[in-house]
Amino acid sequence: MRLKLAVIVALALTVAGCGSKGEQTTNNTPTGTLTIGASLSSTGSLAREGILTKEGYDVCVNVVNGKGGVQVGNQKMKLEIKYQDDTSKSDLAGQLMDQFNDGGLKLILGPYGSGATAAAAASVERNGQVMVDSSGADDAIFTKGYKRTFAVLSPATLYATSMVEAINELATPKPTSIAFISADDGFSKTATTAAVARAQALGFTVIPPEYVPNGTTDVSSALTKIKPANPDVIIGSAHLAEGVAIVKQSTELGVKPKGFAETVAPPTPDFVQALSKSAEGVLGSTQWTIKTKGTDKWFGSASDYAKTFAGQFNGREVEYHGAEATAACLALVLAVEKAGSTDPTKVRDTLAGLNEQSFFGPIKFNDKGQNLTKTMGVIQIQNGKPVSVWPKDAAEAPMKWPGNAA
Amino acid sequence: MTTTAPEVSTVAVAPAPATRRWRRLTPWGVLLLAAAAGLGLQTQLYTGQERTVTTVLMYVGLAAAWNLIGGFAGYACFGQVGFFGLGGYTTAVLMVHLRWSFWLALPVAAVFVGLFALLVGLPLLRLKGHYFAVATLGVAEGLREVVINTSSLTGGGAGITIPSFGDAVTPWLGNDGFYLLFLGLAVAVVATGLLVARTRSGYALRAIHQDEDAAAAMGVNTTLTKTLAFAGSAVLTGAIGAAYAFQQVTFYPDRLFDVEITVLMVVMVILGGAGTVVGPVIGAVVVAYGSEYLRQHLPTVHTLVLGALIVVAVILLPQGFVNYLREATRQRQFSLLENVRRYRL
Amino acid sequence: MSQFAQVTIYGLLQGGLLALVAVGFSLVWGVMNVVNLAHGAFVITGAYVAWEINRAVGLDPFLAMIPTAVVLFALGYVIQRGLVNLVVNAPIFITLLLTFGLNLLLVNGMILRYKANYQSIPTSYATQSLVLPGDVRVPYGRLIAAVIAVALTLALAWAVRRTRLGLSILATGMDRGAARLMGIRAAHVYAVTFGLAAAMAGMAGAAVGTVSTFSPADAGRFTLFSFVAAVLGGLGNMYGALYGGLLLGLVEAWGGNLLPNTLVNAVAFAVVVIVLAVRPQGLAGRAFYASRVEV
Repeated sequence: MRLKLAVIVALALTVAGCGSKGEQTTNNTPTGTLTIGASLSSTGSLAREGILTKEGYDVCVNVVNGKGGVQVGNQKMKLEIKYQDDTSKSDLAGQLMDQFNDGGLKLILGPYGSGATAAAAASVERNGQVMVDSSGADDAIFTKGYKRTFAVLSPATLYATSMVEAINELATPKPTSIAFISADDGFSKTATTAAVARAQALGFTVIPPEYVPNGTTDVSSALTKIKPANPDVIIGSAHLAEGVAIVKQSTELGVKPKGFAETVAPPTPDFVQALSKSAEGVLGSTQWTIKTKGTDKWFGSASDYAKTFAGQFNGREVEYHGAEATAACLALVLAVEKAGSTDPTKVRDTLAGLNEQSFFGPIKFNDKGQNLTKTMGVIQIQNGKPVSVWPKDAAEAPMKWPGNAA
Repeated sequence: MTTTAPEVSTVAVAPAPATRRWRRLTPWGVLLLAAAAGLGLQTQLYTGQERTVTTVLMYVGLAAAWNLIGGFAGYACFGQVGFFGLGGYTTAVLMVHLRWSFWLALPVAAVFVGLFALLVGLPLLRLKGHYFAVATLGVAEGLREVVINTSSLTGGGAGITIPSFGDAVTPWLGNDGFYLLFLGLAVAVVATGLLVARTRSGYALRAIHQDEDAAAAMGVNTTLTKTLAFAGSAVLTGAIGAAYAFQQVTFYPDRLFDVEITVLMVVMVILGGAGTVVGPVIGAVVVAYGSEYLRQHLPTVHTLVLGALIVVAVILLPQGFVNYLREATRQRQFSLLENVRRYRL
Repeated sequence: MSQFAQVTIYGLLQGGLLALVAVGFSLVWGVMNVVNLAHGAFVITGAYVAWEINRAVGLDPFLAMIPTAVVLFALGYVIQRGLVNLVVNAPIFITLLLTFGLNLLLVNGMILRYKANYQSIPTSYATQSLVLPGDVRVPYGRLIAAVIAVALTLALAWAVRRTRLGLSILATGMDRGAARLMGIRAAHVYAVTFGLAAAMAGMAGAAVGTVSTFSPADAGRFTLFSFVAAVLGGLGNMYGALYGGLLLGLVEAWGGNLLPNTLVNAVAFAVVVIVLAVRPQGLAGRAFYASRVEV
């Protein structure tokens, strides 16, 4: 019986092996639509950030089409993005690049997160596609010799370094010692190593960094080890769960620095919601604030962009995830217009030479594909809201020091 | 004395020698046919579809390998992904630090995983049921933590990248190359399953599953048999892990030691029919292809639907599709509720 | 020295909370031989229920544990009676897969409803600490959670030996056939057990929500810790999960202090594997349960 079943199965497979290939779908031809592929994490552990990234891409599509579309040569093309869900798994992100390639989609907008971007970049390089990265900040992506991936956002090395700079410039009385607590994923470690080096170069006493498992909600062992050194500042290079734990457990364990600073968590509304009053005075680094300098013809200035976003999403305030996504889409649109073509190699070469101002700041890529011309901003939670405090010429309010009122 | 086919016949007359030979060879013929079908299928697929089918083939191999210890012997190994990840990371380390060729790294990694399984299996195979499951799960999770903490060797949380172009020792095999590799591995694993099912060792494993003490009393060396099955399953899983690692080029510990891979393997084998050779293949194809289909067409709710489907399938079809089909055709009774009646309280 | 004291106390408090998470898991495993892979999902559901109650009427989360327990009990009862009961006699793979599917449903349902954001239930006192000599701090939130955990475990142990319902749970766990012959309605008893386990998981969730953050993505982690605590403590003994949880908390705290923090999880798993290899029945369990395959 099982034998018969097996024979049937095998014959079915053989039959499937015969027959002809179907028609390949093509795009970008007579219909006048510029279709871009994007794989995002709509489900899984990174769903929230994936959805924020998608919103940023959608704003770009709406604004560009609202202004008549993309000018490619002497034709105006409508912008469209085809989305796929990579379920927060990086290997699926790479696979989806191949699926896009089958469908003729050569222009790609990046997925969320450094892991997925790294996997996608490998596929993009092989397939001859072009990708603009909106959220993969880890420098490791750009050390592999890829020529077809371009990141609009500032790299991981600046995330914590910017806060060190801000403290150095604005905190009075100037603190003397800094302690680092870092998650052990690649992005966080890169950020920590760079910040430690900068802090030492600026003359701070740096307590050896403590590493905690990625995603943990218990950093008590790290804090207990740091406590005897009595640091003036604790800088957390991690994500939301660890970030909240650092502040909460410091209070529990009696660790009282003059201020906290954290890389990814403070600009997000969840941070303030989880900590309520304890979040006051915490510094955070962000890719973009409403005071970022620069304008472009599609989105205007940073505050114009914020208004547009609020208009599309029921008055909700935009976060930097949305902004960096829109910026990536913008870079691709600008490159296509400048190249006058949708051919991936021409677009890639134009991207490599792009030098534009935008609502997101300056966009110019170095030979590895990173955007080192823009700075990150530092915010501080004041009265329950993130307020930009650094660089000084883009600040909404002066930095309060000490930040930790406890 | 030649062994007869394992199907239990109600009539106690042995078939004639010619029929016996056909019975023995036909499964191998079917396997050959399936391999040929796989090769033929490749010519019909685009890159993206090819990658999907490659993933399905990977799961066929994984499910059939798990079947050796979980299906035949009945030991619910919940740490199978540990072997998968260990194979992958060993290959990566050999190719990155020692600059070995992939074709040398794969077998060495697989053997290494097998030795590890031997080492770990000796104490753990004394446990039964849930305890064995938890222990193997602990080993798999522990392996992941070890990998994360040896970052100078494995890259830790920052991931590791196998050199695949430029001055790499082995250039990346290409989507076509990996399709063939995974097809070959899947055929090898299913062939191993066939071998095991139709020989004394297969009987021994099944005897252990049914009643280990009785099997020991009948002279089966249960420790040796179990451990060999465990190690064999590990070697094959490790080989597939090695292939996967090279296919991904850049990967992270969270993905290579993801417990969801183990659970998918178990679901595939159970739903297909544990302890059969064809069952895991059918289960793997249906579940892997089904979940990919769901993912493409139901972007936000596909895991929800998958969970619901697993619940329904497990209630209605606990013995798996192949066994259900066999019993149903024999007894001419196709009711799925029969299962519910049998297992409910 | 005070660092060691701080680490030990913090570890014990953490362990108390883990014990509360694990006690229901251990109960279900011991009585029904069902490993509930959806247990962590119950914890997170309880955390969300307490969070919603706190948002709606401002009730303190430790007081909100009571309505949370009621809601989760009802949920657990219905799930067991309606779903898990259908496969209780089946081989262990089947129950494992069923609860796995259930876990997928619950976790993804919560992600759809609440997104994967991390939430927390803020209180004014939870992060304040009692200060002991040597600047050793005992956070109030964790202290209350640990005390409740121990109290509930003791209450459960008492109830199981002194009330009719408790005795019928014990009896059904020892020998279902004999219990049914004695007139015990096994289906109802199983459902009550499962409901109790879910209720305690929910209360643990409320506590977790107060002292730290939670998200649907954490469900798997809680299930894993319940496994570890149940195995360490052993089945067949009502205090098993308590011992296991406390031990796990201590091991993690000491491990995190003496070794690099990132090895904490590896230490926990190493302990599990060693305990299973050397003494499968755990600290306080009965050997019968360790070698049992069918109920």
